Parts: sequence; C-alpha cells; structure tokens
Amino acid sequence: MLNRSLSSPELLAENADLQRRLGDAEETLRAIRNGEVDALVIETVAGPQVYTLQGEDAAANRMRGEMLAQVSDAVIAVDSEMRITFLNAAAERLYDFAASRCLGQELSKVYESRWRHPDDEAAFKTALRECGEWRGENVQVRHDGRELNVESGITVLRNLAGEPGGLLAVNRDITERKVQDDKILVSEVRYRRLFEAAHDGVLIIDPDTRKIVEANPFMTLLLGYPHDQLVGKELYQIGLLRDQAASQEMIQTLKRTSRMRYDDLPLESQTGQHREVEVVANLYSEGGLPVIQCNIREITERKRAEEHVKMLIAEVNHRAKNLLAVVQAVAQQSAKHGNTETAAARLIERIGALAAGQDLLVKSHWHGVEVSELIEAQLAHFKDLFGTRVLFAGPKAQLRADAAQGIGMALHELATNAAKYGALSNDEGRVRISWQVSADMEPEFSMSWQEDGGPKVAAPVRMGFGQIVIGRLAEAAVQGVAEINYAPEGFSWTLSAPMKAALR
Amino acid sequence: MLAFALEESLIDAGFEIAGVAGRLETALAMIEGSVFDAAVLDANLAGVSAGPAATALKARGLPFIIVSGYFLEQLPSAFSGALCLQKPCPPERIVQALRHLLPA
Repeated sequence: MLNRSLSSPELLAENADLQRRLGDAEETLRAIRNGEVDALVIETVAGPQVYTLQGEDAAANRMRGEMLAQVSDAVIAVDSEMRITFLNAAAERLYDFAASRCLGQELSKVYESRWRHPDDEAAFKTALRECGEWRGENVQVRHDGRELNVESGITVLRNLAGEPGGLLAVNRDITERKVQDDKILVSEVRYRRLFEAAHDGVLIIDPDTRKIVEANPFMTLLLGYPHDQLVGKELYQIGLLRDQAASQEMIQTLKRTSRMRYDDLPLESQTGQHREVEVVANLYSEGGLPVIQCNIREITERKRAEEHVKMLIAEVNHRAKNLLAVVQAVAQQSAKHGNTETAAARLIERIGALAAGQDLLVKSHWHGVEVSELIEAQLAHFKDLFGTRVLFAGPKAQLRADAAQGIGMALHELATNAAKYGALSNDEGRVRISWQVSADMEPEFSMSWQEDGGPKVAAPVRMGFGQIVIGRLAEAAVQGVAEINYAPEGFSWTLSAPMKAALR
Repeated sequence: MLAFALEESLIDAGFEIAGVAGRLETALAMIEGSVFDAAVLDANLAGVSAGPAATALKARGLPFIIVSGYFLEQLPSAFSGALCLQKPCPPERIVQALRHLLPA
C-alpha cells in the first residue's frame, strides 16, 4: 500500500468508500442514540453477527425516541464537555442543522446563547448548581446568524450514580410571540397614554358586579375622588346616577342595547361642586368577557356658553325691538310736527342718524361712545368741512348708551338746521362744537354748538320736531338742561348735565 | 324719545301726565311722592331693570302695564300679573290698555 501513488484513482476511490462508511457509522450511531434501532447486524471476519437491543430498556428507549421526535419543542442533550449527544427533529428544524452533522460537535456550532440581561448568565449558573435546573428566556444566535427568542428549560443530566454528566435543554421558539408581545406593548403604552391624558373621564365597569374596575386620572380631577376611592364603587356611589336602581337599570339597558347616552347629567364633585356631564356608555367584549366603558365629558362650560348665547339672542331681540319702537316714535313725531311734504324725507334721514348711533354703540359693545366719534358720525355729510368750517374740540369723554342716542339725534337735527338755515347754508359760516367736564364736587358735563358767519338768524315761527329733539328729548337723555339761543349773529345750543348721567 | 311720544299720545287721548321718569331712581321717587292712577312701565330703564318700580307700584296697589322688547317670560317675577305689551307697540294699543285698567 505504501508503494501506491498518493494520487492514484484507487486511493481516491478507497477514500470515498471510507467516507461513505464513516457517514453510515455516524447515522447508525445517531439512530442507536435516538432509540430508532432495535437490532444491529455487524459484519465480522466470522460472518454477520446480530446484536439485539431487547428487553424493557429497548422498548422504553424506543418510546422515548418517538415521543421526543413528536414534540414541537427543540430538545438537545450535551455531555459534560458541551458536545451534542442528542437532538430531536424539532431541534433540527429550529437550528437548521441535521443531527447527523452535529452529533459529537460542540453545542456552539449549532447556536450561541446571548443573554438578555447581563445578570441572566450568572443566575443561570447558580440555578443549575443549586437546583439542577433553570427556566427562562434568552436569545440564541443560529449558525447562520439568525436570532431566535427562546424560552428554555435546562436540566442537569445525571448518570445512575447521580453524578452530573451533561445538560438537557428544551427550547421553545417564541420569536413570533415576542414580536406580537412587543406590538401589544407599544399598543398598550399608546392607549394607556390616551386613557391617562384624556380630558374626558373614562371608567371601566364590570357589568356583573356593576363596580368600577378602572378609572382614568381625569375622573379624579372631575370628581375629586382619588383613584383608589373610585375603583370598587358603583356609579351611584360617586354621584353619577341617583341611586342603585338607576345603576342597575343602566347596566340592564346596556346588556340589551350595547350603547347608551345621557346628554345631560348633573354631578356633584366630592367637594360639592356642581357640574354638568354628558355620558356615553358602551358594552364591549374584552377577550370574551363583557366590560362597560363610560366616557364622561364635562359640559358645564358648554352649557354656560349655550345659556349665554340664548341670553345674547334675547338681548339682541330686545334691543332690535326697542330701536324699532324708537323709529316708530320718530315716525309718529315727524308726521305730527313736520311739514307733510318733507316728513318722509326727514324720517329717512332721522332713521339714518339712529343707525349711525347704533353702529357706534355696537362697536363699543354698548359700553359707551366717544363724543368726538359721535360728532364725526352724525356730521358725516360735512366731513369735507371738518377742520375748516366745522370745528370740534374737547377732552376724551365716553357717553352712556342712552345719552349717546339722545345727543346723537340732537347733533343730527342741529346739523340739518345749520345746513338749511344756519351757518352751513352759505359758503363762509362756521360751526364750533365743544364739550367739557367741570371739576366741581358734582362734576357737570356740558356741550355746546355755536354758529357764526351764517345768514341773519330769526327764531322759527313754528315748533318742529327738530326743536323737541334738541330741547326736551336731549334734556331727558342726560337728565340735563338745554339752552337754545336764536341770536341774530348766530344760533347757539348748550346742553349741561350731571356727569354721571351723561358719561360712563 | 319713547316716553315723549307716549306722553303726547296719552295727552291727545285725554290723560293727564303725573310725571315722566327716565331712570329707576326718578321713577321710585315719583311712585313714592306723586298722586296718579296708573303707570306705564318700560321693563328696562336706561339699562337697569324696572323691577323695583313694579314692586313699589304693587305695594301701593296701583295698576300698571309693561312695555318691553323682552318677552314676558324673560322678565323678572316682579312684573308678573301685569299686562305686557311688546315693543314696538302702537300708541293706541297703550291708550286702550290703560283705559281698561282704570274705572270709567
């Protein structure tokens, strides 16, 4: 044999034959270990010899082998040197490694353990030493680099004498479950945050006991009860429903309809504060068990806003009708005291003056009207003459709403008169308007209208509605006194009133 | 303006005017100190409820009617029991209502 060339075809063939036989031997060995073999036939020089693996041991071995082949968990046994002595079909699949290729190999060829937490490895070793077994989760990195999340049970194997001789690992792949768990965790964090940050109260109720099993922090804010005083109570016990019967009725209805809504429930907080709430209750199935979820929304503010809107609408209605009543009175007076031919035209102008005053009141939210703004609005027709022939000056002063209406109407009449007969009826006449507040103990507001440069003035023969407006009505509006002077060189009008009656 | 127009209408209809008040204080003083048979009350006097005036009138046993832009149900209970006319109200309607209140 030594003479043969090392590369001869015979040698290669022999080598291949030896390899094949070695493979067969390993497979046989694996089969014996796995209990798949009942008998062995060995070729010897003396001919074939049959070795039977008989008796109870053989039967038990066989059964064990079948059982291990059936289980879905990966089962691996190693000897004291961590060499693999057994692995079942599930382990072959999980680690993608044929038993024939790894029996006798070191376990690290198949996978490496990577502990989740640094302390896990020490805990594992302690558990094996002290209890002979360890259970837990860890990560195993397969020979191809794939990571597996596994749940493991590892037991120390002992021989008949009780001496440790290796380890048996039963590993369950929980990679999928882990992914699901992580998803659930993310979902749990997300929805818990919603639950906890919600500005609605949320209660979870057990429909069988009718008791609250969970309450979010907003419920505590709403009612004043700490969390532990909410859990375990029935709804009527926290003032949400009036009595136990109402609680029972709600649950009964929910069991029938799955959904209920109370638009407006009065609620007392622990401190006796009154609140209005809207409650929506739903019956759900949670993992096959029914639960009730109640969403409680505080609507105190909304109700208040609704009341406010109602009040505002009533107020607007009242003011509109009041203004119509004023228009009606102006129409009646314009017709009664005026010239029939011009009455309609004058009425239209007067309504315009009322509207101009109304605009100012609305802009100031009915608080008051600046005197200068009132003059600008009522004399808007003479805007081009402002600063030249229409001069007005005075301190900042805000007229009360009723005073603004009376003085506004008076300014309108004064301007109309001036344009028709007075200083604004020619090209050079002027109107000076001034107002002041005296610094007396009881301060007085006064306002004057002084004309000059107009045609020679004569007192009117007939008392028209205009005279009533600048006289009696202006006086009534400010509880004051009006002085009207038809001096030949120029008409003048003065209104004096207690400041508190005229100004804000 | 409204009081003035009403005053003229009432005079034209043959009533005598005991007094006109634009503010609650004036009205209360008048109810206290004047002699008259009936009153026409605006529910709102210069932005103030005329409720106290109604109460004072009731206390003196004097009949009154209310003229208001508010609906009756929006008015305070002090006004209850009195006839409430809605603004804008024709003067004739007020005259008629007053005549109804007073003995012929």
